[in-house]
Amino acid sequence: MKDPNKVIIKLENISKTFRTRASLFKGDQKEVMALKQVSLNIYRGEIFGLVGESGSGKTTTGRLIVKLEEPDDGKLLLDGNDITKIKGKALKNFRRKVQMIFQDPYQSLNPYFSVYDSVSEPLVVHNVGNSEIRKDMVRESLNSVGLAPPDDFFYRYPHQMSGGQRQRIAIARAMVLKPEFVVADEPTSMLDASIAIHIFNILSEIQKKLNVTFLFITHSLAAARYLCDRIAVIYKGELVEIGSAENIIQNPSHPYTRALINAHPRFRF
Amino acid sequence: MALLTVKNLSVGYHTRKGFLKSVQGVSFALDQGKSLGLVGESGCGKTTIGMALMGLLPDNASVTNGEILFEDQDLLKMSKKEIRQIRWKKIAMIFQAAMNALNPVHRVSEQISEAILAHDADISEEAAMKQVESLFQLVGIPPDRMRDYPHHYSGGMKQRAIIAMALACHPSLIIADEPTTALDVIVQEQILSAIKDLQNKLKISVIFISHDIAVVADVCDNIGIMFASQLVEYGRIEEVFHAPMHPYTKSLLASYLTLDKDVVQVNSYIGKTPDLINPTTGCLFCERCSVAEATCSLRAPEWVNISLTHKALCYQCK
Amino acid sequence: MVERFLEGWSVYKENLIGKIGLTLLAIFALMAICSFFPPIIDPMYHPMTGVDPQISHSTSPSWRHWLGTDFIGRDILCQLLAGARIAFMVGISAAFMSIFLGTVVGMIAGYSGKIVDTLLMRLADMILVMPTLLIVLILSSLFGQLNIWTIVLLIALFRWPGVSRVIRAQTLSLKERPFIEAAKVAGASHFRIIFRHIMPNVLPLSLLYMTFRVTSAIIIEAALAFLGFGDPSTVSWGMMLQWVWKTGHMFQAPYWLLPPGICISLLTLSFYMLGRAMEEVLDPRLRKEIAQE
Repeated sequence: MKDPNKVIIKLENISKTFRTRASLFKGDQKEVMALKQVSLNIYRGEIFGLVGESGSGKTTTGRLIVKLEEPDDGKLLLDGNDITKIKGKALKNFRRKVQMIFQDPYQSLNPYFSVYDSVSEPLVVHNVGNSEIRKDMVRESLNSVGLAPPDDFFYRYPHQMSGGQRQRIAIARAMVLKPEFVVADEPTSMLDASIAIHIFNILSEIQKKLNVTFLFITHSLAAARYLCDRIAVIYKGELVEIGSAENIIQNPSHPYTRALINAHPRFRF
Repeated sequence: MALLTVKNLSVGYHTRKGFLKSVQGVSFALDQGKSLGLVGESGCGKTTIGMALMGLLPDNASVTNGEILFEDQDLLKMSKKEIRQIRWKKIAMIFQAAMNALNPVHRVSEQISEAILAHDADISEEAAMKQVESLFQLVGIPPDRMRDYPHHYSGGMKQRAIIAMALACHPSLIIADEPTTALDVIVQEQILSAIKDLQNKLKISVIFISHDIAVVADVCDNIGIMFASQLVEYGRIEEVFHAPMHPYTKSLLASYLTLDKDVVQVNSYIGKTPDLINPTTGCLFCERCSVAEATCSLRAPEWVNISLTHKALCYQCK
Repeated sequence: MVERFLEGWSVYKENLIGKIGLTLLAIFALMAICSFFPPIIDPMYHPMTGVDPQISHSTSPSWRHWLGTDFIGRDILCQLLAGARIAFMVGISAAFMSIFLGTVVGMIAGYSGKIVDTLLMRLADMILVMPTLLIVLILSSLFGQLNIWTIVLLIALFRWPGVSRVIRAQTLSLKERPFIEAAKVAGASHFRIIFRHIMPNVLPLSLLYMTFRVTSAIIIEAALAFLGFGDPSTVSWGMMLQWVWKTGHMFQAPYWLLPPGICISLLTLSFYMLGRAMEEVLDPRLRKEIAQE
């Protein structure tokens, strides 16, 4: 149900610079331009892949979209509305619609929160429903990530669960409010390759069921190809290539994309 | 004659909940100059095997069975002193996330020359530094970067420095545990080809431990697939990749995403990790297996020889 | 959470120091509880007002008075038991208040950063360098004898900075962790993040520091009482020492001098041991067993 005419998230000339921390020597302070005038349109209902190496700016892009960071320049639009500088109530409303799945499942869940506590957190924060309704919503979310029967997991704690299970709980938490746009920041880079596929399938199913738009950030072109409709390749803070997954891989136009393709392990048997 | 022969190795850990059987009855052999990949998910025991080979098992671990024959000597029967003679000089290890183990307040070249001096009483400091130079050349770090500190190095360079350190005493076997985690695809490929290159030049044997079958695909001659403390398939890499026999191997290969295979939706299923404190008598993979039959959960599977060099631990692959 | 507690308990059990500390504490707790009984049995055993009709001076231990009597014939053992009660009360309430204050300030400073952090920490520094005992002494000489609860409050007010620094440091590192960022992205307010997300993660450290605070609170109270600035209507071990000294019985009545002194030392030692053992429970790296794979 992709609607090519509806742009949900738009980045217009976004720039972001990081200053390294002050040190004893003034000379050591460096400025790193993480993003240089990046412009991007993401359409409703698609799974959009952002592929790049560490330091390329891909994670910064994701963090800017969920407003964990502020851009130094440029505009960010959600459904055509300028959300670059929103605060207060508008920001809280924004957070109902835009969510994030973090990279490290071992650190993205509060060790003192039970599974129920973690997944119901967005519901509590936004004052949705009462205790019974919340339990049902949490159950639905846990079911959608394959943690069944959900009630068995309610009172477990993160340290009792594997990395793959923890990441699924993080996904359940991100999806419990049925957001419109979700940034998945390298959701499988800390998990075994065999679990990764399972996570991709879950994300794909969720996308089909809820028509949510995903920004999938990864360093693996092959993973992006498996999961995404369109891909953008980012290198040193700039988008060097954008297009459909197949197109980019069959006809790469930028030398960096070609280097990425050549470096990828081959199944030579 | 094989450089390394592991026979029926079993290792376990004493934990609060009981004795965890981390490795059960693993056997394999490695010839000089060849490489072996040990692939499996976290907890399958592959790192424990690496530690056992190096004699670096923690205090709460015990080897309950088996032999590790290295150059015809059983490493398990050696004293701590004898093992120290072998460690680093004959067998070296590249640990997981080793690049984080570089001391941030010492120059990289100093750390490597320290390793050399520690293991060779006769060598002078200058000679050691000269060796560091040639090692850097071998692994592809420019000589003008020798006197830098670790934080000036990129992830890939740090990993190369770690490889140089492992090569410092000219070992005949290197154990590389997840050598390319946290490295980007392009850097990963550089490191893997550097290792392959070194292997050819120096005729070193390498054991690659990884959860990612993609890492070992390009660089290993033989491959061993591990699941829940057991070796479930073993063979030459072409055999295993072309004709995988064990259901777990098949699922691993299916989850190996490349750019040239067609995009096919992979059916995946994550099961619970088998209980290794009180393992069942039947096949440990049974719960997750798509072709399991009734007998699988009752009787432990036996090795099926598919060819002279290829075997799998499964009833379904006759 | 129960499972976590049980797991912690099994680690604690193996620590010899922890076991000794806990045993001692249990003995003192028993003493504190028992302090209620003697006056009920016989009014002459009341620590403050119980005067033995037959004895009105200091006597050594006898069947009637197991530890002897003080200078006006009051039973020393009962005083000791009452002192245990006071020590626990003072120690624990002063420690609790200072930890509560210190934790809240530390969390707010660490989380807010910038100006709020600087202001709070400078305030903490100023208080940290003030000599607690001296100031309380000055205050009591200005305002006359202080009530025991005032003393407790003062101890708390002067002792919170220590723990606030530690909690602030922990908060600073927690602030950057992904689960806190996840709470932000979910829309949680700063208040919620501090008290619902960060607090449970710093509480173990707070509780640990509380055990150390108890020791200092008990000693401060004892010192104040000994120097004559305590609450004259409460019988504490420090007060007992004051009486021994003031009435000139220091060297004549060891049965009177030694018990309170020993008790102060042992009680503070046992809390300290408790704290050390708890450290091992809280920081898995300190445990002697190596973590399972």
